[in-house]
Parts: sequence; structure tokens; C-alpha cells
Amino acid sequence: MKLREHEAKKVIKEYGIPVPAGFLIRTATELPAHLDALGDKIVLKAQVDIGGRGKAGGILMADKKTAVATAEALFKKEIKGLPVKEILAEQQLDIQHEYYLSITVDRSSKQPLILFTEAGGVDIEITAKENPGAIKKVIATPLMRDLPPFMLRELAGKAPKEIMPIINKLYRVFLEKDALLAEINPLVTTPQGVFAADAKIIVDDNALGRQGFTINRDLTDREREAEKHGFSYVELNGAIGVIGNGAGLTMSTLDLIEFYGGKAANFLDVGGGAESERVMHAVRLVASVPSVKVIVVNLLGGITKCDEVAKGIIAAGISQKVIVRLAGTNEAEGRRLLTEKGYEMLPTMDSVVKKAVEVTA
Amino acid sequence: MIYGDKKTGILVQGATGKQGEFHIGLMNTYAREVGGRGVVAGVTPGKGGQQVHGVPVYNTVKDAMSEHDISASVIFVPAGAASDAIMEEANAGIETIVCITEHIPVHDTMKAIAYATMQGSSVIGPNCPGLLSPGEVKMGIMPSGLFSRGNVGVISRSGTLTYEVVDELTRAGIGQSTVVGIGGDPVIGQTFVDVLKEFENDPQTKAVVLIGEVGGNLEEEGAKCTDLPIVAYIAGISAPPDKRMGHAGAIVEGGEGDARSKIARLKKNGVPVASRPSEIPDMVRKLFCGC
Repeated sequence: MKLREHEAKKVIKEYGIPVPAGFLIRTATELPAHLDALGDKIVLKAQVDIGGRGKAGGILMADKKTAVATAEALFKKEIKGLPVKEILAEQQLDIQHEYYLSITVDRSSKQPLILFTEAGGVDIEITAKENPGAIKKVIATPLMRDLPPFMLRELAGKAPKEIMPIINKLYRVFLEKDALLAEINPLVTTPQGVFAADAKIIVDDNALGRQGFTINRDLTDREREAEKHGFSYVELNGAIGVIGNGAGLTMSTLDLIEFYGGKAANFLDVGGGAESERVMHAVRLVASVPSVKVIVVNLLGGITKCDEVAKGIIAAGISQKVIVRLAGTNEAEGRRLLTEKGYEMLPTMDSVVKKAVEVTA
Repeated sequence: MIYGDKKTGILVQGATGKQGEFHIGLMNTYAREVGGRGVVAGVTPGKGGQQVHGVPVYNTVKDAMSEHDISASVIFVPAGAASDAIMEEANAGIETIVCITEHIPVHDTMKAIAYATMQGSSVIGPNCPGLLSPGEVKMGIMPSGLFSRGNVGVISRSGTLTYEVVDELTRAGIGQSTVVGIGGDPVIGQTFVDVLKEFENDPQTKAVVLIGEVGGNLEEEGAKCTDLPIVAYIAGISAPPDKRMGHAGAIVEGGEGDARSKIARLKKNGVPVASRPSEIPDMVRKLFCGC
């Protein structure tokens, strides 16, 4: 789950990384009380859960006189379709140079990867393409709490000395907050010292509980409902509902829909040991999506009992057509139950998907 | 076959739990069919002295190791205890550690794998179905009925999609040497690179099916480092960016790890890529006849 900028800045500040003076406001009327602490030049940043908000008009500059009116205008805006409920009002920094610092999980080495470049402020992907030599990379070991000084020297190079302890502090944040990504872009030098002008932290979804989060904000309401039943669910926007068991098989079913020219409405991985009640909930959940005209059920596995799955599909009692592919134990009984009630059961993944695409075409 | 054979003695951690008990039963049924040793010991702290399907349970991995000849393990403990289980087994000297458990925080996995690597153990998973070498050994939860013995190795990040492909191969008369589910998490122990190295040293394996998905670039890294003939399949061509597709590791982030660019890179390296699972058997057959 992505932390919002003001949350990420609060975290790094607790670890001793300097951030600009700033206040979170929920209405423009809260702003005047903070104006003295913010100084003459102010930046107003919409706290929306979406990337690229600067380009979408979510970051506005103001001075002491225009700040309240600017905040009012920003609260009325929608940033990429999202309402602005919170604004982070910060002092503008007198920036001399911008750096980029990030720590991620490196799949290849299975260890933390730290990136630092003196060419900060711009898109790191652009720097990576145009000037890859400018990005310094160090792979650390997760078994050490601190980065050895040689790694810090290697990363910081000719950058000011104050940057080295900041890199180590962000590394501590990364380890202790279960981060998949901890990023400061840009990290800036000013006459007053070094500051994190922006911060981004993504917390591992599997560690939200121990990090004190009760819900995952990145999920939609229906996705959260699915999570309660133990399903992995992703909303798409086609007409063909999909229920599969296992992430790979379900993804592959979606791909096959695209291959045959259809559009999937969702990804739903019902998980292992699909008993009748779980299947019923899954079918009802997918059927509740307005765009769904037909549902493909593709379940395969040694443990899956086909008669249980069939009972679940029948119990769901939905109005849309359900096309089923089942392979596992008690297959014949499952087929008998389904065909008796007029459901279509086909032998392969290709055949169910083809049929569903035909129905929606 | 790789990572074990009939002679491999297996330990199960989380032996007295529902999953552990169920799968000890299935693993040992398979072991009896093929004349292998199967699961010889279980571990659940505090449950030492009990038996599960006739298999003795111990309090610690070291206790079990002192009584039995064990070189591999399968872990079924809950997510909060799984990284500890990996490290306890690595510390006790188990060579191959298969971790079935899903939802382990990535930082726990990173630490456990770093420690296991220092101890010289190979970790398969986490969040994986384990491995199966037809006619030799089953370590994990794969449904053995779909498999047949032969010369094709299979490496996959997913469970049921692997069964789908294995089923297709078996129906087409193409047997498997070892099928390895390496897991759906962003950080896993044995990656495509590691398993392909094992297959290169395995005289039984003549070709490999590589089943990948969105997220990262480990499929391409693997395909680049081997001389074995490969057929690949990548799931998730229709996956939207920044959404986790069931597996913690199946996500297109920062414009990286999407299926189309993975497929393009694999093809650039001369690897044939199937556009759907049902195409795989014919493509494998072409590798063998060279046509």
C-alpha cells in the first residue's frame, strides 16, 4: 500500500531526515493559522493516491497573500478524477541541487538495492535510459541493520557529506517499515541544508497488520469485500466475469479472453480448496458487477472437488450465464449436477473462453 | 531429476497442522507408489512424540535430524513463523528447503534466504506448490495424477497453471523429468537461473518449459544463461499496470515487468514463446525433432 506524501514524510522525519516545514489541511480555513510558520513562499500539494499529480495540476505555488485562495481552488479540483480531500501546505525550498535516492527490493539478487544519482529531480526512468552511468547502484544485505560506510561513500560520491547519513536513515526506514520502496525524489540541497522535498513509501501488503494498518487503501470496495472472503480480486471493465483457482491460471484465462477477442470484467482467484460456499460467494461477487454478461469458471486441481464447485455455482442462483470448465476429483458428479440444471460445462480452457467470447460478441 | 530422488528423506515442518497432515498423507502415498522414502519425520514445536500418518513428530529440526537421514524439507507453517522455519532448517544443514507458505512479508523472506544461502541451503519458494519428479519423489502439493515421467523439465512461478501445462504435456505423450514451482512472490529462493543450472547438470532433462508471469525480469535472465532448448509462456498479457494479480510478485511497476516486453526480450534471445498454454506441447515436440 502506498503511503501518502505527508505520511511518508512523517515517517522519514521520525528517522531524522529533514523535511520542509509543512502542515496537513482539510479545508482552506485551516491555512491562516500556519502561514507565519510557512514563510513567504508556499507550495500546496494535493494528497491524492495517484502518481503524476504535479503534471495533472495537483501542485500549486502561492505566497502568503494568495495562499488561502489558491488552497480553496485546489480543494475544488479533481486530480485525475480523484477529489482533493487533503492538502499538504509546505514552505518552498530555495533549491540549489536535486538528487535522487531510492531503495527497493531487488528480485534478481534477492536483496535490497539502493540507487543514487546526482541527476535528480527528473524522471529516474529517463535518466536510466539516457545516462545510465549517472546512476550509482549498491546491493546491500538484509542481515545488517546499517549500511557499511564504504557503501555510503560509493553511493554519495562527490555529493555533500550530509547525504551519507540520510542514505543510511532511509535504509533503516526501508527495513523497519516493511517497505517495498522507500524513495526521496528529489533530495535537495539548500542554503539551509539538505531536505527531502518529496517522499514515497510503499508498504508490503503482507506486512500491513504488523505495521499498524487495518485496511489496504489501494483496494476498491469490491476488492476489499473479495479480500474478506480470501479471494484475490482485481477489477477490469469488460463483459466476461472470470473465476479461476490460482493466480497464474486465472491470469492465463484473462489472456485467453483477449486472445479470442473478448474483454474480461475482473480477475478473481478463488484460492485453494474451493468448497461450495466460497464458490457461491465468488460467483455472486462477480455477478454483482454491472458490466458482467457472462461468467467463465475455470477450476483445475487435484484437491478441488468438482461436485462442491457445482453446488456453489447452482446455489449462487445468478441471472447471468455461467460457463464452466472443471477438472479434478468427482468430475463426473460435478458435470451431472451442472448439466441437470442447464449449465454448460466444457472440457478445456480454450473451449470455455471461446464460448464466452461468442456469447458477448 | 533434480533436488531429490527416491532415496531422499523428507522432513515436514508444521506436520500437525491441517495442511501439513493432509499433504504428508499424499506425499507418502506417492512415495509408496514409486518405492521412495517420502516423509520420514515431522516437526511442530511442543508436539514432539506425536505421530501423523505413522510419521514421528519432533519438537525441533535438530531432534529430527539426529534420528533420521534427512536432506529435504517441506514447510507448511503460518506466514508469521515461516522465515524462522527456513532458518532453523538451514542451520540444521538441510540441503533443499521447500516453503509452501504464502503471505510471508518480503523482508522476512529476504533475511531467511540470505541466511539459508550462507548456510549452503537451497530454498524453493515461498508461496509455491513445491516440486515433483515423476516416478521418483514429490515434495509439496502438486497433484501427482497429472504427471508422467520423461525428459522435459518444467519451471513455473504458479501452481494451477503448472498443472494445466503438465496435463497438456502428459496428454500429448510428453513426460517430465522434474516440475519445479518456484513461487509467486517477488523474492524467492531458487529462481529460473538457479533451476536451469540444475537442469543443465541433469542427464534426464533434454528440454525445459519455462512458465512465467508479469513482474520482474527473471524469466529473461534465466533464458539467457542456458544452452538447453526452451519453450516459454508468460501469463498476464492483459494485466493492468500497478495491480497485483493474485501473486505478490505479479505486478507491473514503474513500467517494468509487463508481459509484452518480456515476451519480446525472450523472442529476441531466440526463445519460442507460446501465446496460450495449449500451444506448448506442439512447440516442445518441435524442439526435439528440430523442425
